[in-house]
Amino acid sequence: MRKKFHSQAIINLFYIPAILLFLIFVVFPLIKGVFLSFTNWNGYSQKYSMVGLANYIRFFTDNNVGTAFINTIIYGFGSTFLQTVLGLSFALLLNHKFRGRSVCRAIIYMPVMIAPLIMGYIMYFFVTYDRGAINDILALFGKEAVDWMSDGTRAVFIIMLINAFQFVGVSMVIYLAGLQSIPTMYYEAASIDGVGPWQGLRYITLPMLMPAISSAVMINLIGGLKLFDVIMALTGGGPGYASNSLSTLVQRTYFGSENAGYASAIGLLTFLFIMLISNFFIKRFDKREVTM
Amino acid sequence: MKKILSVFLAGILAATMLAGCAQGGTASSQAPSKAPSDASKKDVKLTFMTNVVGEQASALEKVLKDFEKETGYTVEFSAPGKSYEELMKTKMSSNELPDLFTTHGWSVARYSEYLEPVNDMPFAKDISSQMKPVISDKQGKMYVLPMDSDIAGIVYNVDVLNDAGVRVYDIKTWADFEAACEKIKAKGVSPIHMGGKDSWTIGQFGDWVAPSIFVTDEKNNKRADLKAGKFDPKTWEKVAGLMDKWTKAGYFNKDVLTSDYNSDVEALANKKAAFEFYGNSTIVDARKINKDANLGMMPIPSNSPDDKPSLIAGERIAVGVWKDSPQKAAAIELLNYLAKPEVMSQVATASGNPAGLNGVDSNIGDIKTYYEKYKDVKTFPYFDREYLPSGMWDVMCSTGADILAGKDNAVVNAGKIMQQNFNDKFSQK
Repeated sequence: MRKKFHSQAIINLFYIPAILLFLIFVVFPLIKGVFLSFTNWNGYSQKYSMVGLANYIRFFTDNNVGTAFINTIIYGFGSTFLQTVLGLSFALLLNHKFRGRSVCRAIIYMPVMIAPLIMGYIMYFFVTYDRGAINDILALFGKEAVDWMSDGTRAVFIIMLINAFQFVGVSMVIYLAGLQSIPTMYYEAASIDGVGPWQGLRYITLPMLMPAISSAVMINLIGGLKLFDVIMALTGGGPGYASNSLSTLVQRTYFGSENAGYASAIGLLTFLFIMLISNFFIKRFDKREVTM
Repeated sequence: MKKILSVFLAGILAATMLAGCAQGGTASSQAPSKAPSDASKKDVKLTFMTNVVGEQASALEKVLKDFEKETGYTVEFSAPGKSYEELMKTKMSSNELPDLFTTHGWSVARYSEYLEPVNDMPFAKDISSQMKPVISDKQGKMYVLPMDSDIAGIVYNVDVLNDAGVRVYDIKTWADFEAACEKIKAKGVSPIHMGGKDSWTIGQFGDWVAPSIFVTDEKNNKRADLKAGKFDPKTWEKVAGLMDKWTKAGYFNKDVLTSDYNSDVEALANKKAAFEFYGNSTIVDARKINKDANLGMMPIPSNSPDDKPSLIAGERIAVGVWKDSPQKAAAIELLNYLAKPEVMSQVATASGNPAGLNGVDSNIGDIKTYYEKYKDVKTFPYFDREYLPSGMWDVMCSTGADILAGKDNAVVNAGKIMQQNFNDKFSQK
């Protein structure tokens, strides 16, 4: 009994480094962030005062938050939708054997290896008005150059497309792994029963792929809702505040407007928002996986 | 066991929090350090951070290397560029600053609580009369060594103006400026080039135009109101209104919202733009692209015919010493080294501006003729640094972007948003 107690105590000791790191780098900043959200701290001064719930009240009346919230939804759900549809399509296509299959897989996955910030800067040279690659192509057909990112709504959709393009490879790899784990006997049995390719996809592939879809959707959704780097590289959240996500709004409010207290409140509410959405979808997917 | 572990972890958490809360006050209690002996000089490692980049950063780095050779100290130099302000704000919040750093126009309003006053240092008496009011607080304390002095107007391409038949000396008011823009536009050249993707470039418009409406007119100005914390949104609408009017008139480049500062420089150098609202370092930058570019600088027009054109005076490359630096004596030694005429001259030459100390020459070529020509033109400090609370810059940039993007009610909203933010930030001062 004594020996068992000792060995358990020693095992518990091994948790301490991980717990300490978690406390210092996650729990402590979170608590500090909650505290700051009740202040008017400017982000650098040694002085600040408490402002109660003012920052939270402002959150719900601030037009810039409204814009950033809608954009965040578009970045999150729009990218996820495209990555799911395209990722699955690529996976289904590249699950068949043909010459050059590995090269195709590599090409689609390649953008994932580039840092999102770098991807943003690369894409900037495609969409920029003066000597941008797209405008140069348009010029070849005698078309007028377009200032692609000058319109906020258009900029948001272009950013969403770029994010989806960059990370569609992740979805493809997850779906490929899922497809390869489906036993072929189901398809063989189905073909004997006269099941066509669409029915096979609907009644065998998709249900069997549900755990992979669940993982890919959650990864894409959280990534899209937290989108930051590409926005900073392409528009910096502009024109004005038009293409900000909640993440870039936090950065801009903290450092640009010197409103660290308010930025903390936006950050915390963003954290809660992403957590609630993620939980909702995790539960939905869990149910589907159980019923399959 | 669980109880013991919980108490232990709670203790660690509490200690961590207390340690974090205690950050602010510890450093300020340090005693000033003594000058290091020759033997210990090798152990002195100073940190120097600056917001400037390119040619100016290279000039600073070179003089710091010379200082290292002369003294045996080590100076760790860093010029992080765009992220400088964010880094400095983070460092200020933890009260862990570099030993020396540049203050990019904010030595008084933002950095003074962290800087060692320089009034008693040998170079203080030589600080130019144009710079003294700009870098002094209400009590007359100065906190930085101005390496150069920023006397800024509107920079222009002489050839473009000549081709369009515009005589720069005839431009006295914004109405004259608009007439010039019409002529330039008719020639198919962009009258004003602004790289709005960088955001700060839009804020420049506010700094260049607002003084003529809020500040420079002796008979009708809002200087006292702004200092007293009163911001009139209707007056700001006049500033925003000009931007709106010029946008609709097509005076800005077509990609005003998506091009950047580099494209501004390129356009000015290659006769694709006539005017830009930047300081003279833009002339230096443009000549790196086209060394034969025929460029000039003019005073900023007035809003009223009863007022006169003006120039903007401000800090540019100004260096201060962190007051709680553990190497304060060595840092002050470096500051005094930077004040040497032959050292300061190198940095001021790289920035294309006159030196910040009397009796120090900078080799700025033909730009010097403009300084001499306009030496009697009245100067005013940068509008945002002098009359707006810290943190308003981003608001100027974003409301300006809304106007350039042609958003509904952008001019009226700009006034309202500026007023709301002004009031919020002024109350925090």
